[in-house]
Amino acid sequence: MQGLVAVFRKELQDQLSSYRFVILFALIAMVSFITSYMAAVHMRENLESLTATRFPFLMLFSTPGVMFSMVQFVAFFGPLIGLVSGFDAINRERAQGTLIKVISQPVYRDAVINGKFLAGVTTIAIMFTAILLVISGFGLSLVGVVPGVEEILRLFIYLVISIFYIAFWLGLSILFSILFKSIATSALASVALWIFLSFFVSLGAEVAANTVVPIDRKNETPPEAVLQHARIQEAVSLCSPMVLYSNATATIIDPMRKTTRSIILMGPMEELLSTRFQNPLALGQSLLVVFPHMIALIAITVICFAISYAVFMLQEVRT
Amino acid sequence: MRLKRNHPPCVVGCFVAALFAATLFPPFAFGETQKRDLPPRAIYVSPEYTGVTIPQGNDVSIDLMVSNRGQKDENLDLKLISVPDGWKTWIKTYDFGVTGVHLKSDSQKNLTLRAEPGKDVVPGNYTVVIQGQTEDHQLTSTGQVVITIQEKTEKKRPEGVNIVTSYPVLTGPTDAKFEFSVEVENKSDKEGIFNLAAQVPENWTVNFKPAYEDKFISSLRLKAGQSQTMAVEVKANPWAKPGEYPVGVKISSPEAEGQVALTVILTGTFKLDAGTASGLLSLPAVRGEASLLSFYVKNTGSAPLNNVRFISFQPENWKVSFTPESIDTLAPQELKQVEVSITPAGKALVGDYSVGLRVESGTPPKADKTLEMRVSVTASAAWGWIGIGLILFVMAGLVFLFARLGRR
Repeated sequence: MQGLVAVFRKELQDQLSSYRFVILFALIAMVSFITSYMAAVHMRENLESLTATRFPFLMLFSTPGVMFSMVQFVAFFGPLIGLVSGFDAINRERAQGTLIKVISQPVYRDAVINGKFLAGVTTIAIMFTAILLVISGFGLSLVGVVPGVEEILRLFIYLVISIFYIAFWLGLSILFSILFKSIATSALASVALWIFLSFFVSLGAEVAANTVVPIDRKNETPPEAVLQHARIQEAVSLCSPMVLYSNATATIIDPMRKTTRSIILMGPMEELLSTRFQNPLALGQSLLVVFPHMIALIAITVICFAISYAVFMLQEVRT
Repeated sequence: MRLKRNHPPCVVGCFVAALFAATLFPPFAFGETQKRDLPPRAIYVSPEYTGVTIPQGNDVSIDLMVSNRGQKDENLDLKLISVPDGWKTWIKTYDFGVTGVHLKSDSQKNLTLRAEPGKDVVPGNYTVVIQGQTEDHQLTSTGQVVITIQEKTEKKRPEGVNIVTSYPVLTGPTDAKFEFSVEVENKSDKEGIFNLAAQVPENWTVNFKPAYEDKFISSLRLKAGQSQTMAVEVKANPWAKPGEYPVGVKISSPEAEGQVALTVILTGTFKLDAGTASGLLSLPAVRGEASLLSFYVKNTGSAPLNNVRFISFQPENWKVSFTPESIDTLAPQELKQVEVSITPAGKALVGDYSVGLRVESGTPPKADKTLEMRVSVTASAAWGWIGIGLILFVMAGLVFLFARLGRR
């Protein structure tokens, strides 16, 4: 245990004092602030419409500022934080020969990987909490709305999901740094996987859906076929952690959203009667809607770390 | 020749004389004969009616014709030679009493005979005899009038108060206000305060109002001979059965009283009410699972409601069923409980839906009521536990790895 604390402390020190971290943090913080600032200015111009919504504070995060909202931005570029802080975790130690030195100390081998992973997660948590708090402060001073209890709870859940999401990418990059001896290879592999999962999976989902249920744009397609097309596309794109994350957070941040699906089939009576009460969902119901997504995110994060752990523990260290 | 000469003037003279006689004499001859036809002296005293009937308490005025049919002008003395006891009788013209009259030859005068019975005159026949006599007492004429006094049938009526209405029967639903317009007339010669009272079925309310004024009154001051219109507002017992109900209005003062009978015909009302016992119109429901709600249906009208049925407006693929499905008859004031089961579709989105429950009675519907329920559809938490189980399983795997591979 003592070894774990020592490795954790040292690793945290290294992370927070590195230029890499400072540059990354500055980049992420700047983009987030600008996005939220634009959203806040936009909200202030339309203060009248704010009275209709029950949770104006959450709109700071869900309203698109310039091109995308804060939530969307984190979904796309949040993984970079995880990747950058983890891609050289083990193989740099190996290349510099410090790994053997550490292990020759009275420190267990699992303390090294546990400490590195925990330190990475802590860095991400600090960074993300700070950004969230600063944006909330922005909202308070710029728009002048005070968040309610439910809004704070929703923000907290958003924060937890985000940390798990970035921790998944951290675990993935640590796994690559264990698997590949070369730092460049592991960095490249991480970024490649990130691009594939984030951008190409959605394209692949479209292709898969078109293959199974072809949709003729010129002719009327029956609504059932359109629905099945959308189902297949959604199912395939759920392979991407980014889709999991953005579906989950969009529903948590926007209480009016009642489903994570993009297309649903509704009868005319159902549509009429459900729009009769324009009510936001209770927090518990929102959570239940995105619970599968949250479970999946947490599970892949834990599994990813477990694989890195097992591979590292079974690896030959001395060579 | 001479003879011949003499003849013509004689003929002419005769002709002229005859012509004279023909042209001049006839009028003379007529006048003379008419005047000559009249008796030298003749007078008549005759009343216009020789027999009259009056109700008790009324007076009599009869024209009296006095005429001279003789050739000579006459001065007549007029006398009432027989007057019944207790009567006041005299002859008069417009302004004054008359005891004598001058009549020219062949002329006539109209006078008035006035007879007033005293207060204690009982009903019966009375004869008044009038005598006219010339100054020289040579000619006398008498006329007589028989006055029959009839007993009055309604004793108090002329001295009291009269109450009438133009529309004595009003028809309407039980919850309507019936407003009768009643005219009250004080027939006595004294001002008086009249109390108003009404006789109605039990639990009905009656208010008296002056016409065009929104005040409730219970008595009325009327000057002698004054009449006033007032409104009688009747409100039926809301639970009265349909039918015909009498309403008696009585107006009375110490001296007099009047009555009028009014009628209200109630047609009954068709009304129903529905709601939940707690007043709560929201219902939580888990998708795919039935949730139960009980509401009541009450007949708040006064007529029985037949064929009460339930209709629901719900989203597609939802199931709404009622127990019982319909009620044959619902008596007035009767309350019945209805169970409704609402099952949201298995794939319904979470959120609030509006579900309308409509209660209708009769065809075409005479009474209806719609309850709008807010059904909050929630997701089942069962999958949540499975997810937590999954996470625990993964964590257990990690702990197993730690235990298996750790401490190397």
